[in-house]
Amino acid sequence: MEDNLKYLSPSWRDEVYKRLSAELDPEKMNHATTSLVSVYRNCPDGKDRYFLVSCTDGVIEDVSVGEGEPPEAEFSIFGDYDVLARMSRGELGAQGALMSGKLKLRGNMVKALKLSSLADRLNRVIATIPTEF
Amino acid sequence: MDKKTCCSENNPFFIDYPGRIRSIQEAMARDGFDVYLGSRLRTISWTTDAFCPWRSYIVIPREGVPTLFTFVIDASRVADDTWLPEDNVRGYAPLGGQDQITQISDFILYALKIKKGRLAYETGLSNYTPEGNLSQYEYEMFTAALPDFEFVNAHIIADKLSLIKDEGTVNRFRQASRYTDIGHETVRSALVDGGWRGKTETEIAGIAEHAMRQAGSEWAWSFTAGNEIASGYRTGYAGGACTPATRRELQPGDSLMVDLHSMYRLGLGDYAYNYLIAPVTDRMRWHARNYLDVVRMCLDNYKEGATPLGLANMVMAMAEERGFVEYVVPGFEHGIGMMGDEWRIGLNTGPIKYWTDPNHSYRAGEMLICAVQYACPDENIGFRYECPILIRENDCELMARFPLDVEEIE
Repeated sequence: MEDNLKYLSPSWRDEVYKRLSAELDPEKMNHATTSLVSVYRNCPDGKDRYFLVSCTDGVIEDVSVGEGEPPEAEFSIFGDYDVLARMSRGELGAQGALMSGKLKLRGNMVKALKLSSLADRLNRVIATIPTEF
Repeated sequence: MDKKTCCSENNPFFIDYPGRIRSIQEAMARDGFDVYLGSRLRTISWTTDAFCPWRSYIVIPREGVPTLFTFVIDASRVADDTWLPEDNVRGYAPLGGQDQITQISDFILYALKIKKGRLAYETGLSNYTPEGNLSQYEYEMFTAALPDFEFVNAHIIADKLSLIKDEGTVNRFRQASRYTDIGHETVRSALVDGGWRGKTETEIAGIAEHAMRQAGSEWAWSFTAGNEIASGYRTGYAGGACTPATRRELQPGDSLMVDLHSMYRLGLGDYAYNYLIAPVTDRMRWHARNYLDVVRMCLDNYKEGATPLGLANMVMAMAEERGFVEYVVPGFEHGIGMMGDEWRIGLNTGPIKYWTDPNHSYRAGEMLICAVQYACPDENIGFRYECPILIRENDCELMARFPLDVEEIE
């Protein structure tokens, strides 16, 4: 890949889907069926955006980005663009961001704890994508 | 017994929890409530079949299965114990969006999709520390998070529905009383024939607890200190209804009060038995007879239609006539239900709010703890009787089988 991909752009989305599908097989995804939408408040252009990942039986099914009202998902994470971008760059851990109240999680916390290792795996793959924030 | 077995209708300890929820939902529909936010321990136990020691809340929608919210560290265990589906037990935590106020209000708004309406909650007054009424802070935070809801204090819904005990509940109390029977038998064996010498109150509590745990008791549930043991002057505290065991060693001439507590699937055992350690004087025996006659009079008169005041008048008249009225605490029972439902008899209908209505007319199927406290502080002597009873049409059933007595031991 020659150039950095713009964060949350369609091309970045395509690359996320490609890498997640290639690097995280159903075994590595613990055959999980779930969905997570990250809702970015106060993006640099002033808009709100979302980034959705869903999987069924461990198979990545949908990766989407968009503006405005986010789709329904089993888990929703709300935060400022800066916070979520720092997480995508590996500069900030999800747990620390949640404990400090910088992020807000909506969904079943008990199930989220069980799935937290998967979220870490997703983020590690996403962090490998050359990205322009 | 595992959860699935106990959930079978053929099981003697079966309780129709979905039916309980439906009855709450019918009351909600009748009273125009869209959601019920239960926070009292009695409501949590009665609706979930799980022991929830951490601050918990149950959210009951007008239709469908309720969801329980408890401290995240205990949520998986509670999910394993309750009849509720796993996804209907949520853990709250000090994380963004996951504190109890945000999580529950978000759940109502976005998961249940109830954006406005009437919300039933639970508040009031209690002499029982773990009652669980919604705190002022919780109320302020919830009303701020759910601005389009009318909050209405509606604990009466759960109170009414839980007043008459179903067969499974009664059987759980019977089973818990088997444990206190075993505890008392074991303590008695340890004390007789001079076995009391050198024993302390805490040791007696432990002997009982060990025996009851071996038999299957889950917990000496009483918030008044588990198994309560008092000896000597400590049995004679005026009104002394709370006697955490101490390191006091039993002495000749002591009175000894052994009040054991057990739990079986949120059904509660509570039986108190008393001893006199030799040498025993005639005066001590006189006190013991007085106490026993008070207990017998109570037990002979509990039945449908009896009232706390009627019973108190009867007993106190006898005590006055026989010259020991100053030693009798003028109340002979407290309410009981599944774990967390303690103290007040009946509903909140009395002249002093949130206390027992002295004119409450007992109905068949109600349970209470017959609780007699006899204390003579000046003579360092006292006795306590406690036993779960089931009100019946013409009498009452004693859950415990251990005898009523004040036993003299050498």
